[in-house]
Amino acid sequence: MKHMQGARPEMKLDRRLFLGASAAASAVLCAPCVLADGHGRPRVVVVGGGAGGATAARYIARDSRGAVDVTLVEPTRSYYTCFFSNLYLGGFKEIGDIGHTYGGLTAGGVNVVHDHAIGVDRTARTVTLAGGSVLKYDRLILAPGIDFVEMSVPGWDISSQNLMPHAYKAGSQTELLKARLMAMPDGGVFAMVAPPNPYRCPPGPYERVSMVAHYLKANNPTAKIIVADPKPKFSKMALFQEGWANHYAGMIDWIGEEFGGGNVGVDPAAGTLTIDGEKTRVDVCNVIPAMKAGRIADIAGVTDGNWAPVNAADMSTRADPDIHVLGDASQQGDMPKSGFSANSQAKVCANAVRGALTGSRVFPAKFSNTCWSLIDTNDGVKVGATYEATEEKIARVDGFISQTGESAEVRRVTYEESESWYAAITADMFG
Amino acid sequence: MRTWAGFAKNEEVAKTAPAFTVAPQVLAIRGDIEYGAYLASGCITCHQPGGNTDGIPPIAGLEAGIFVTALHAYRQKHRDNPVMQLVAGRLTDDEIAALAAYFETLGK
Repeated sequence: MKHMQGARPEMKLDRRLFLGASAAASAVLCAPCVLADGHGRPRVVVVGGGAGGATAARYIARDSRGAVDVTLVEPTRSYYTCFFSNLYLGGFKEIGDIGHTYGGLTAGGVNVVHDHAIGVDRTARTVTLAGGSVLKYDRLILAPGIDFVEMSVPGWDISSQNLMPHAYKAGSQTELLKARLMAMPDGGVFAMVAPPNPYRCPPGPYERVSMVAHYLKANNPTAKIIVADPKPKFSKMALFQEGWANHYAGMIDWIGEEFGGGNVGVDPAAGTLTIDGEKTRVDVCNVIPAMKAGRIADIAGVTDGNWAPVNAADMSTRADPDIHVLGDASQQGDMPKSGFSANSQAKVCANAVRGALTGSRVFPAKFSNTCWSLIDTNDGVKVGATYEATEEKIARVDGFISQTGESAEVRRVTYEESESWYAAITADMFG
Repeated sequence: MRTWAGFAKNEEVAKTAPAFTVAPQVLAIRGDIEYGAYLASGCITCHQPGGNTDGIPPIAGLEAGIFVTALHAYRQKHRDNPVMQLVAGRLTDDEIAALAAYFETLGK
């Protein structure tokens, strides 16, 4: 018995050792196939799982049929789309309707890593993650979206975002803005500090104003909306102004550049907004600061000023041909900073990257964008264009915009189109 | 010559001029399916793979001749959706054939 008792732990130890040794032995035995399968395959690392990054990762993995190792780095497990986030504010969508997970991408062969990319070594061609992992790449695709330019709205910084939400990265911020809207006192004031150009859109500031007005008209009809805008005009301006006059007469006060809309400051603790020297107490203040490329683009050293200049043919950066930047963070030319644009650019980039890494056919870059906006129930408008790659930039070829005075039927059909588009693009992004 | 007859159930198509036809030599162009797959990535941003026909109709699986006729109708502004006129307006005959060939494969 004594012997046996003594033997058991020994056996356990042996067994543990054996298992360890076995794992090591298998690793050694498998080393050539690991190398062939892992290190032998070209590696693409994509940073950012939005309309640009998720699409690029999915397309490269799908179309290369396993020939390219694709890793997507995205911190959030549930991604909320900026597009349609205004419709949530207006009560046309639930928050769950605009939330998506990455299971479809993993099923499609993408290695999805939920972490933050914090470093890029362009010589070693590695990306370092906040969790300590280091990913090697042959091509790096950065699609980090936007960050805010510090102190672009005097008095506001990221520590103020709970007092004065931006709701420009969808999710908790959007929920907060909605909660604030719903808690407004009767006859209260909702203020927006609109961003300077260029800005991410959607979530379009002017669609947001429309959706806030829609909510207030039904729930708090004596409330007012003030928009302080540093710009003299904005996209679809005539359409929005017509819609505001038709649906929300007397509710919205848009203060453009001409009337000091760009000369603003806020005091988040006091809940005040100062426009051109005149201080006003407001009940909700939606501050949308000036924007710049997501920080990782700066860290990678591919930005020039606030954005990352890219070559239109494949979205590779001017600074480094092995690093591509998609979507909002890129400085590409004529396309707006929309999810639709990012998705379109991702497909051109994915085709080019796959071609460079596997020798597959590379086709000419073709880009397009359509942005729908909802002004009120069944009152949808749209603007769109096609684009091509030139040496200099992504250049606009042709476009269209909804007309003022369109029939209710045309506007209803336009809104229905946007519903279809949302279902299609999110399936295209997330699988 | 092909007409809209085979596509008549689609509410969108019903709005078009039923007399619109495409020349046989255009319908006979053999599409490059691989190029079509690439170009199609620009379509499926809006056109869902199937199901709901409200709003933007599904196009996967359309017969090539019907697809070609539809795109030419948009390009020549016989159909009036501005997005589709824009999209079709920049496609060559070969590109329309490529797209048609690709989308037809999705129905098989």
